[in-house]
Amino acid sequence: MSHNPLRLLLDFDDRIQRDRDQAPAFLHRRDRRFALDCQQQGIRPDAAAWLQQMARLSGPGNGRQAGKDIEQRWRRIHGGFVVAGAMFGILMMAGLLFYDGGQRINMTVLLAFVLLQLLLAAATTVQALAGWQPWGWLQRRLQKQPPGQTLARLQPLLMARAAHTGGTAFATTGLLTLLVLLVVQDLAFGWSTTLDTAAQGYHALIQAIATPWGWLWPAAVPSQDLIEATRFFRAAPASPTTTPAAQWGQWWPFAVMLWLTWVLIPRLLLLAFSHWLVRHRSNDLLQRHPGMQALAWRMETPTLDTGNQHNDAGDLPDTSTRTTPVALSDARHIVCWAGAGEPELPQPLLGDGATALKAGGRASLAEDDQVLTTLASKLARDPSPAIVVVTRSWEPPTGELHDFLDHARAQWPANTRVLILPLAANANEAPANHLIQPWLRFTERLPTGFTQVALLPSLPDNPYQTGAEQP
Amino acid sequence: MTQQPLFAVVGHPNKGKSSVVATLSQNDAIAIALEPGTTRARQAYPLSVDGRQLYTLVDTPGFQRPRRVLQWLEAHSLSASDHPETVRAFVLQHRGDDRYVDECELLTPIIEGAGIIYVVDGSVPYSAEHEAEMNILRWSGRPSLALINSIGDDDYSDTWQSALGQFFQVVRKFDAVRAPFEQHLSLLKAFGQLEPDWEQTLAQATDLLAQQRHQRRHQAASLIARALEDMMAYQERRTLTLDQVAGTSDASLAETLRDRWYQHQRKREQTLRVNVEHLYQHQRIQRQEAELAWASQHDLFSDDTRNHWAVSKKYLAGAGFGAGAMGGAGIDAATFGSSLGAGALVGGLIGAAGSYFYGDRLILPALRIGPLKDGLKSASFGPVQDSQFGYVVLGRAVDHWWHISHRNHAGRDLLELEPADQHWLERLDKSSRREIQKAFDRCRKQKPLSHQQRHNLASAIEQSLAVYDDWRLNRP
Repeated sequence: MSHNPLRLLLDFDDRIQRDRDQAPAFLHRRDRRFALDCQQQGIRPDAAAWLQQMARLSGPGNGRQAGKDIEQRWRRIHGGFVVAGAMFGILMMAGLLFYDGGQRINMTVLLAFVLLQLLLAAATTVQALAGWQPWGWLQRRLQKQPPGQTLARLQPLLMARAAHTGGTAFATTGLLTLLVLLVVQDLAFGWSTTLDTAAQGYHALIQAIATPWGWLWPAAVPSQDLIEATRFFRAAPASPTTTPAAQWGQWWPFAVMLWLTWVLIPRLLLLAFSHWLVRHRSNDLLQRHPGMQALAWRMETPTLDTGNQHNDAGDLPDTSTRTTPVALSDARHIVCWAGAGEPELPQPLLGDGATALKAGGRASLAEDDQVLTTLASKLARDPSPAIVVVTRSWEPPTGELHDFLDHARAQWPANTRVLILPLAANANEAPANHLIQPWLRFTERLPTGFTQVALLPSLPDNPYQTGAEQP
Repeated sequence: MTQQPLFAVVGHPNKGKSSVVATLSQNDAIAIALEPGTTRARQAYPLSVDGRQLYTLVDTPGFQRPRRVLQWLEAHSLSASDHPETVRAFVLQHRGDDRYVDECELLTPIIEGAGIIYVVDGSVPYSAEHEAEMNILRWSGRPSLALINSIGDDDYSDTWQSALGQFFQVVRKFDAVRAPFEQHLSLLKAFGQLEPDWEQTLAQATDLLAQQRHQRRHQAASLIARALEDMMAYQERRTLTLDQVAGTSDASLAETLRDRWYQHQRKREQTLRVNVEHLYQHQRIQRQEAELAWASQHDLFSDDTRNHWAVSKKYLAGAGFGAGAMGGAGIDAATFGSSLGAGALVGGLIGAAGSYFYGDRLILPALRIGPLKDGLKSASFGPVQDSQFGYVVLGRAVDHWWHISHRNHAGRDLLELEPADQHWLERLDKSSRREIQKAFDRCRKQKPLSHQQRHNLASAIEQSLAVYDDWRLNRP
């Protein structure tokens, strides 16, 4: 994975865009896991390592390389600028130094051109800092899709970097052309201006310009004599008798150093600055990227799994019932199961001679057995033996009742009819239907025909009544 | 090394043990039914932090034969000191015995060191018949807590509370379906008080759960913000060839585009719903909500929807003033303040007037049918020019979020989203209103939001969630 900040930023931005539709819980798990692995290996979990991990897990052949694609596009743009800059550099210098033997090469024109180059270089840098995109329209036409926000913020800098690269190529080939022409031709430099300028003033200007290299190469600083000797006027061509021919050529060290110092070196410096700026801004954008803050949070915060993997929602019991409750008919023998019927039984159960026995709940198992024995003997004397087991409808049937009825079936006469009567919390009300259903299913699990669920007769003008007097 | 806290949730059949576990483990895929015996085997629900288990809840089947178990225990014990050993012996002896499958399942975690959470239903009358169960639990010698759940509407919790106090160290009321999140945390802290070693672990767990909930609100706001951005900026486009132009009238083209636009918006809204539900670990919600609808071709929404979720003209004027003033302030900045703030004032007034008069109408037609050019004709519908669309979507989304964030995982009923009858958004602070309006304006102009604007919109929506929460909890 590249550690180039620009590439890193673009790859990171692309990855964050791809993660947009992922579930937050998944992202948190994934990134926290990565951070913990890093911690174990003693690695600092930064964006580069994170992207590297993503790429490694994705395996080879990952076609998407947003950063690489963009980088390649800009490399092509840079190549175009270099070629164009190099050609213009040759052509421009050849044009500037065009010398047919009858005319001097005016140093003032060269100075003006250098100044123009300096201004252009400065403008490019200012444009980058201000965020202007001088050829943004061209960029938009060439791009298949509009740049993302992150790239859009970097484009002015990238444009400036490309322009400085082209400018550097321009300055380099310009310098090389100058040197070649110096070798293959005898160039006659002079200076000329329409303005009423004395040689002394011009000398002061030249000295100021040559200050950076004056100490290094004194020969490259034209003397006042040379300046005085090489002024020419187009209307009055210099006489070969007053100015020796060699003197016209003595300007060349100055011309070389002028180009080198005021065109090539500033461009190189600004190019380096633009590279630094792209890296710095990329780093900055990466650190301030909303995805980076979210990633840092995900890496730092422990993942919480509340235990929600188990899924048995589809494994619900069969709640269909094939039977229906019957109306309570005979209630001579009553068993109150697990506290049902307390404090009082409903009125229809309190018929003549009805006996109520308690079993289940707080009664001991021995007491349950006693109830079974007592009823067995009573039922044996009954021609149509029937028992009502009163229960609390809201306390679902348990294994204990199942055992009780199993024992009863073994001890009581075979033709005994057992009716289970679930009561509501308020005996004056009918139990809710959903409370009756489990009792119906309970009787279905017992041997067929042994038990049935019964309900008290319900008449509109004769609601359930307990043993107590109703107001 | 101290054993990690383990809690066995036990009780009589059908008293809501699974509901309690579902809510505390945030699992809506636990089988819950009004049928005894729904839980047939014990199931552990561990809470893990970075894969490390902090505590485990164990859901168990209910007692089936407590008196018989107690009788066995009493017959095999000599003194109180051997009670826990006797309970262990019972489980060892009856493993694989069909009669005591449920008892073995529920007693196993207890003999392995679990704390006991005994669940009763406080909506039915207290019954002393449960004493056998409570005695067995007491025999185990494990720390215990009784939980009064409420399945029905009646309330007998006071009698339960005084009765349970005789058997359990701590007695708490906890409605598994309706208890607010703060009560979940408070209950977990109470679990931690059962043993001194557990207190710190449970405190850590509750801190992390609270942090997770806070973060979920933040993430929900981001999800809503993104959906709003997508929906407000969405444009349905179609390019017709010469043949297609001949066979399609402008009216039918408009109709098709509008229908497809609505279909897309509804689908996007549904995606948001599912995303928010999954964020809160609700995977199986059945939802009923009026879908985005409109009354006529000239109006995006029916009057009902507007009345329920749209904001008032006054609100729009306020938000419009804020957004306009921001633009005007740019003029002031450009003149280095020499306009003495007049730019902001004028911009604000223009924004406010525009919003007041046109805020609830289509400012610009959303439908554009271009001329025939190069043998092709392009037509588009959207982005919606009425910012009320955004407020309606926002209102519906915030309401859904509220229901989801307050829904316990034990809930199995249908989620019915009913429209609100008040303009709750009007309680929102001015800066948040302005951010929302600004984002809407940019979207309808098809200008992408910057990272900062996106962040501001999400923050404003997070604020809206807080305001709505406050409004729902305090409304008369």
